[in-house]
Amino acid sequence: MSESETKLPQPDELSKREKEDAMGAYFMMFAVWGIGLPLPVLNLVAAVIYYFINKKNSRFTAFHSLQSLLSQIPVTAVNFFLVVWLIKILVAEPAFPDAFFIYLIFMVFANVIYIVFSVIALTRARKGQFYYMPFFGRVAFNRFYGPKAAPLQKPVEPNRPPEGL
Amino acid sequence: MKLEITLQESYSRGQLLLRAFFGWLYIAIPHLFLLFFVGIWSSILAFVTFWVVLFTGEFPGSIFEFQVKYLNWSLRVSAVLSNLVDGYPAFGISGTGETVSLQVDKPEKVSRGLVILRVLFGSIYVGIPHGFCLLFRLIGGFVLMFLAWWAVLFTGKYPERWHAYNVGTFRWSTRINLYLGYFTDQYPAFSGKE
Repeated sequence: MSESETKLPQPDELSKREKEDAMGAYFMMFAVWGIGLPLPVLNLVAAVIYYFINKKNSRFTAFHSLQSLLSQIPVTAVNFFLVVWLIKILVAEPAFPDAFFIYLIFMVFANVIYIVFSVIALTRARKGQFYYMPFFGRVAFNRFYGPKAAPLQKPVEPNRPPEGL
Repeated sequence: MKLEITLQESYSRGQLLLRAFFGWLYIAIPHLFLLFFVGIWSSILAFVTFWVVLFTGEFPGSIFEFQVKYLNWSLRVSAVLSNLVDGYPAFGISGTGETVSLQVDKPEKVSRGLVILRVLFGSIYVGIPHGFCLLFRLIGGFVLMFLAWWAVLFTGKYPERWHAYNVGTFRWSTRINLYLGYFTDQYPAFSGKE
């Protein structure tokens, strides 16, 4: 899609509220700390809730919320697998295998990359700018600004009496 | 912060008895069930707020509104369950009550230093002194609540000063919540008065 076809909001056209809400989406990566439970899936659940709460308010917020949500999926999967593996080892196995430590390093690496991207994205969102993460940015952009972008609010169906009356 | 819980001219004896025997069933369980989940979301947002305030010095508008509405809902339920008002508390974050209202002004800026201070030492310089005073106030409040139950049962009226005292307790604890939740930088007063 060419630039002339897509009218993107510029930073000075966005309200402070939209910028704040967009920034807030990336903070969902800390949700699990807020609850205090070592369950990485909760971050994803929080991101899904945040997305559905905010997606009708503004396209800019919706874009960042969806990008945050999508980017959390692989990291959550990696973290969740580690937690499951850890529980399995603690319950059933006598010692930690070497593969576990290799996976642990991979998990830390994945999380650091994810956090770096998220911090950049939330900083840009607060300034009212778009930031496109690899792959996820394009998907989120197409969903809200692409040629098949759906309207934010679905039309409300009017109430009608039963048929035949 | 402005918390108002209306003193009604007269209270329903039927509702009073109904709440005493079945309040847990038709008010507490449905509301607390929902408030539990909304509370989880609220605690997530409180954690997010800490980081946002720390980096930007501002309380995000939408989170502020959500948290105030959540507090409003909790207060609506608490006020009814403690017989301060009659009626059934409105469900939901967007629900409103004619008899219970909490208004909080959004601060322009929040002190980052105070945010860190509250996280690290909030329990010491807020929790302990206020908790100690509120403990005795709550004991007095429970006695008055018990006496007020009988007063309403026989006279249909809630004694004005007892009502003001119990509302003051709610006001006091709400002020502490607001201070610890970064809604205000003003240290909570050791009083339940406006």
